Amino acid sequence: MTLIERKGSQTIIVADAELPVTQKPLHVVRAVFSYLGELWCYRELLLTLVVRDLKVRYRNSVLGVLWSLGNPLLMMAVFTLVFTVMTPSNIEKFPIFVLCGLLPWNFFSASVIGSIRSIVDNAPLIRKVYFPREVLPLSVVLSNLVNFLIALIVLFAFILVFQMPVTPWALLLPVVIIVQIIFTCGIALILSTVNVFYRDTQVIMEVAMLAWFFLTPIFYPIDILPRNYHLGSLTIDVWRGMYMMNPMASLIATYRVILYGSGFGGAPPALDFFGRTALTALGVFIIGMLVFFRYKRLFGEEV
Amino acid sequence: MGGDGSEVGKTVSTAIRFEHVSRRFVLHHHRARSFQELVIRLLQGQDNGRREVFWALSDVSFEVRKGEMVALVGPNGAGKSTVLKLISRIIDPTSGRIVVNGRVGALLELGTGFHPDLTGRENIYLNGAILGLRRGEITRRLDDIIAFAEMERFIDVPVKHYSSGMYVRLGFSVAVHVEPEILLVDEVLAVGDAAFQRRCLERIDQMRTNGTTIIFVSHDLNAVRRLCQRAIWLERGCIVADGSPEAVVGEYATHSYVASAALAARREHCRHGTGEVAIEEVRFLDGEGHLRDFFSTGESLTIEMRYRAHKVIERPVFGIAIHRSDGVHVTGPNTQFAQYEIPLIRGEGVVRYTVPFLPLLEGTYYVSVAVVDWCDTQMFDYHDRLYPLRVVPGCAERYGIITLQGEWCWAEGEAGSVP
Repeated sequence: MTLIERKGSQTIIVADAELPVTQKPLHVVRAVFSYLGELWCYRELLLTLVVRDLKVRYRNSVLGVLWSLGNPLLMMAVFTLVFTVMTPSNIEKFPIFVLCGLLPWNFFSASVIGSIRSIVDNAPLIRKVYFPREVLPLSVVLSNLVNFLIALIVLFAFILVFQMPVTPWALLLPVVIIVQIIFTCGIALILSTVNVFYRDTQVIMEVAMLAWFFLTPIFYPIDILPRNYHLGSLTIDVWRGMYMMNPMASLIATYRVILYGSGFGGAPPALDFFGRTALTALGVFIIGMLVFFRYKRLFGEEV
Repeated sequence: MGGDGSEVGKTVSTAIRFEHVSRRFVLHHHRARSFQELVIRLLQGQDNGRREVFWALSDVSFEVRKGEMVALVGPNGAGKSTVLKLISRIIDPTSGRIVVNGRVGALLELGTGFHPDLTGRENIYLNGAILGLRRGEITRRLDDIIAFAEMERFIDVPVKHYSSGMYVRLGFSVAVHVEPEILLVDEVLAVGDAAFQRRCLERIDQMRTNGTTIIFVSHDLNAVRRLCQRAIWLERGCIVADGSPEAVVGEYATHSYVASAALAARREHCRHGTGEVAIEEVRFLDGEGHLRDFFSTGESLTIEMRYRAHKVIERPVFGIAIHRSDGVHVTGPNTQFAQYEIPLIRGEGVVRYTVPFLPLLEGTYYVSVAVVDWCDTQMFDYHDRLYPLRVVPGCAERYGIITLQGEWCWAEGEAGSVP
């Protein structure tokens, strides 16, 4: 790992080969701090890129903001049609039920699909100008966050229209959103790095995201999953497995519990599950940072 | 690596310092670029392709003082862009240390990072942020940027409607108004119309006057001579020469004249003579008669001149001069000194000068050739230092210009008793 030291306006770049082995741990600590300082210096770039994304998205379509709301509302209408008219499933206020899962999922899915391409799409910039490359995937996640927050307003409008009570548990919403952001950023950092070296990552992930969508309890309640599923001589708790293996399932279940409950207003979430999900998200984020940090110095020659 | 304390004082007037910097690139031939390929490779049991190691820079050290304007010259692939990329931190060094004092701005590919759907004004903010500027700093410079680019009327139009000239003007304007302390200029001046190019050069000159350190990469050697105070000549990742632009560029131009048609003018400039006899080709041959452009000390060297005489010339004298790259005249043999009389020439012919043991030590030398009349009153043709001759180490000696091949002898006791 190359050491970059910044003292005021002076930058010293020392190749890894120059560092004595005994000093390496110290250098790693110094490198991490100078790196964090640098990220802070470039916070305006992150903001500018988020604004750019939003401007471009809303300028290109005549309907502007309305379109980014239209998509989940249309999907909500389709799911409602399927699950209340064609195969009735006896879920209270189904439109709200499905929106509670669909909006966080759309945030996640759009962020991941958008960020995978972020490094490769900005190849001319990466070859010519230095800036912390992290800002590219992170800005995609943040601009999708803005869309998500706008969409949440619509969700609350629906809750009012359906005359569903909003309980104090809804105050946990920011915490759940933050955990989701951390998880999403981790995935975005990992996949955007992988895509630099293997360019079909984005194609594979588009299929994978569709599978992930169906494997996540979005248009069905997590409770329909069997607790004792017999596979030969094995007995599998699919319900528990879903919580453990799929952080998105746990996140969406938590959104749903605090906003929708069982159709009569938010209820307390299962904190032990949510706590574990938060730790998983943090772990994924740290892995993402490490992967990105390890490989980003090759971006300049690989893109 | 010296102590940190002593360095601070030393680096005050230093803008850029390279200390034994090397950069290696590993070229993976046929490396899998997608998972699909990777899986196919695994199924077929192929390995992951051949690796080739390539040193873009090897052990390069130099220092640029604040406010200096330094040109990097050299052929494509010599490592000029690698130097710029190392300074701007796009790639990391493999070994060595680089010190950079001050904010680095780059005029590399103008308009890089413009988003086609955003207006000129929005792109100025975007580009400024990418180059590391705060929003307030950009706002302060906005009017200057727009005025310099002459874009007042179009600044609120999406840049996808811009002409390529407008694109470049806006890109240049943003890049120079960022006010970097170190500016990297890479072959950008070849774009845009002549008037704008002149304004770009003026602006660069003005920035230099204001104390900006500038690293200038260009194949336009006249611009290098005119603008820079110093030139560094890179060849295959090593510094060949470092000094005044006049000397370095002259040397480089002479060295690379064959490859560059643009230097034909200079080549004509270095030729004098009446043309009654024209030396049409000069070649360097080794002991086996093979064409070569470098030799090692001690090898056999033949300099061959092919001439064409347009009329009958009696007793012509063919001569050669060898200069070292710094201008030292090493030797100047000719047929007259050697008492080798050529009675008369007409039409085509060949003259060869053979050195069985090349005494020159490592370095770059320039060979001049000439043909004059017997009394040295008429110059028929003269090629002034047109032919570079590279000598690579071939013996252990390395001080001075030549090896005399003397013999050493040692005896103990009285000095006079040596046999």
